[in-house]
Amino acid sequence: MTSATSGEAGRSGTSPVPSFDPFDTLPELAPLRTAAANGDWAATRTFFTGLDSAEKVTFAADVLGDIAGVETYLEQAAADAPADPLPRTLLAERYIHLGWETRGRAPATHVSLEQFDRFHAWLRKAERILIEVCAEQPENAPAWTARLLTARGLGLGLSEARRRYDRLSSHHPHHYAAQMQLLQQVCPKWGGSWEAAHGLARECTSAAPDGSHAGALVALAHLEHWMDLDGAAHKAYLRDVSVRNDLRSAARVSVLHHDYRPGWQWIDAHSAFAMAFSLGGHFEDAAPHFAALGDRAAEFPWRYLNDPKAAFVKYRTSALATL
Amino acid sequence: MTTDLHGSGLDALSDLVSHTTTQGIPTLYAPGAGEVTAGLLFRVGRADETLPTAGITHLVEHLALHRLGLSDLHYNGTTSMTYTHFQVTGDEDEVVEYLNSVCAALRDLPLDRLETEKEILRTEAAGRGGGPDSQLPLWRYGAQGYGLTSCNELGTRTLTADQVRQWAEARFTRDNAVLWITSDHVPDGLDLTLPAGTRISAPAPTSALPVTPAYIRGDDGRVVFNAVVRRSTAAAVFADVLGRALYRDLRQEGGYSYSAEADYSPRDADFATLTGYADALPQKQDAVVGGFVDTLARLRAGRIEQAELDSARAKALKAYNTPDLSAALLPSFALSLLLGHRLLTPEQGRAELHAVTVADLREVAREAWADGLLQVPGRDADWAGFTPAPQYSEAALTGTRHQSLGDERVTLSIGTEGVSLLTPGGPVSVRYDACAAMTARPDGARSLTGNDGFSVTIEPTLFRGVTPERIAAVDAAVSAAVVVRMPARDPERIPQPPESEPEPERARQRRGQGGTAGRGWTAALWFFGVLAIAWAMLGTAVTVDETGSAHTDGARIFLFWFLELPLLWQIRAMRQRRARARADC
Repeated sequence: MTSATSGEAGRSGTSPVPSFDPFDTLPELAPLRTAAANGDWAATRTFFTGLDSAEKVTFAADVLGDIAGVETYLEQAAADAPADPLPRTLLAERYIHLGWETRGRAPATHVSLEQFDRFHAWLRKAERILIEVCAEQPENAPAWTARLLTARGLGLGLSEARRRYDRLSSHHPHHYAAQMQLLQQVCPKWGGSWEAAHGLARECTSAAPDGSHAGALVALAHLEHWMDLDGAAHKAYLRDVSVRNDLRSAARVSVLHHDYRPGWQWIDAHSAFAMAFSLGGHFEDAAPHFAALGDRAAEFPWRYLNDPKAAFVKYRTSALATL
Repeated sequence: MTTDLHGSGLDALSDLVSHTTTQGIPTLYAPGAGEVTAGLLFRVGRADETLPTAGITHLVEHLALHRLGLSDLHYNGTTSMTYTHFQVTGDEDEVVEYLNSVCAALRDLPLDRLETEKEILRTEAAGRGGGPDSQLPLWRYGAQGYGLTSCNELGTRTLTADQVRQWAEARFTRDNAVLWITSDHVPDGLDLTLPAGTRISAPAPTSALPVTPAYIRGDDGRVVFNAVVRRSTAAAVFADVLGRALYRDLRQEGGYSYSAEADYSPRDADFATLTGYADALPQKQDAVVGGFVDTLARLRAGRIEQAELDSARAKALKAYNTPDLSAALLPSFALSLLLGHRLLTPEQGRAELHAVTVADLREVAREAWADGLLQVPGRDADWAGFTPAPQYSEAALTGTRHQSLGDERVTLSIGTEGVSLLTPGGPVSVRYDACAAMTARPDGARSLTGNDGFSVTIEPTLFRGVTPERIAAVDAAVSAAVVVRMPARDPERIPQPPESEPEPERARQRRGQGGTAGRGWTAALWFFGVLAIAWAMLGTAVTVDETGSAHTDGARIFLFWFLELPLLWQIRAMRQRRARARADC
């Protein structure tokens, strides 16, 4: 076994420092990083129009939106091609990232009124663009997915978030990025309930064909639930056999299924299972997910832990030891 | 005798409709099957009134019909925003009897009935809920002109016999009227003698909305949008497309709404009010707001299926396939003639319908959006590009300061220029020189409503140091012409300051969280706490006014109402109605 370098699709998983950066973990994104660094709209456009699935477009829009400063050339591109929904969609995505950076990830009680005002201002700016884009292109997956974030941040309500998801899913059923956003919305922290969160995860998993990402929503719902508990209940939650069984069957029909289609979100999906099994002490169950991940991981949900990289390495060691 | 009508476009209709004058009243007639239906239209309505005289046209209408109260005629009277309509269906003698009786009464109103009819109108108003859009006129126009449909009929309190008589003499004249009859001749025996006067154009619109598209917060369970657009065939077709789009998007696709519809109602010669409406279950109303916003955006983006246009067009064209087309077109022609709107022959109407394109509809959608006023339940709508309609006055007026006894953060200011209620969110001011009306109670309470629709209520029991001298200062500053004296209240109904401190919930009330209230909500909120609003259900809309049955056999007669007159619920919404339980609008 040799130590895998970042970006190499090795399965050893022994690299001391995993990468959470999608540009490192997914080499196919390299042209996008270069285009963004150069403020090169033509190259950006070529990259997006060359993608073979709506899932990848949504994923790449999110990744691009996380890069500081891209709003400058995206604004220019939107102004230069006002009839083209793509630059506006990507720009709105960037505004949403700017909004969330302003707000921070802390619970609402730790966010100042001034932060909220600026957060909402970015989201309104994004939402007004996205209203137009979705009106022009009702099948625009990244725009509808982004509108689940604006709906949540602007407090537009559960039924509105669900409507947006339904509009998207009428064109793109089982759109995992949007399902992850809707799952956040239906958690108690955003006005939902655990019944709704687990229900949505089950509903999406059973509706999706075998080998889809959707099963990972079951893991995410359990992780959210675990995060919300305190004390003994918190410690016990993921150790519970029924939760473990739930995770196992969800993994079987999704990422561990022989028909699994990894796309670009396999790292997100395996990360959710790896983390959920590990926190419950089910290292044998976590092992195949760590084996698949190697030295790659997704920031979400690992950022829920204090030192995500250290935690990842620790749990990976425990898991791989069971093989 | 027909010289009055030349140049009005009627000559182009000569194959279809005959015209003459009857005792000086322009008269259109064309044969129809069965009984005769006739309508006498006057170009006067609620928009012509002022806040203190609001209801005066309705009073005249009631008085004109009083003598017919016990007859068996099938008749009706309607007071609308810009016109008053007396209609009858029957044999020729009955039509003559009705029209003669109406005109005789207009010449010599039974003013001994005045107090009784005022009482009847107050009772009628109390039993009548507002339509879903009943607050929008106030926010759009203020407490004047076209905004008065949102207001109480204050005139039913204080109007004198002289005022009512003078109103009838000035407005219900032969020169301000048009008569239509579904007959091949004008019946013998008509005596429609009315005083001479002038054709009075519909009033110019006022504005209380500095920025559009704007939004207000309204009651739970409904979303309403309206906009004023240029009158055109494309705009009328667009309303149908909008209604279908809302129905499809909100009911069929999402199941968020039960009712989702749209309406196109001419306001005056050149402009029409376009209204979209959707109801919502409480747990679905956020989705209704979002879906409504998206439907408007879709139409604005021009993503309109050709089939949507074709369906709306086919429906409009179908109306021309009626037997007795000429008779069916009469009310529409009469109203256009009255308002000064162009008259279209059926050929022209069909040609215009055929010429409407998706691009035309998109233009109407954009025009409507630019002028839009949206009423949403609960939440804000700024995220969707709407600007909040002004919740507060621009300036606070200085004067003697009187702290609220119920909330120390609220102060009433009584000055030489006007009164202000200073609240944590901002001031609500009424200037004396822009005061539309002031109601006055013997116990000292005064409620001032500005032309812009803001209102301030002074309850001497609720503020520190509001002495009779301060009330006298207000009385001296407000023009006597706008003062409406109200009867004494039961002592139990005179508000008293709360005994306990204001609840913390109220203290956290943010600007713009006035909930259901409209302009002047702040004042109402502090004084009354809760606004009790009872809307009538849309489904109970009726076509009859209080005076009789309009269920004539003339269903065909009303086919063309879709182009020229309000739909049923809109008719109801535009009639006089009870305003919200706050101030006078």
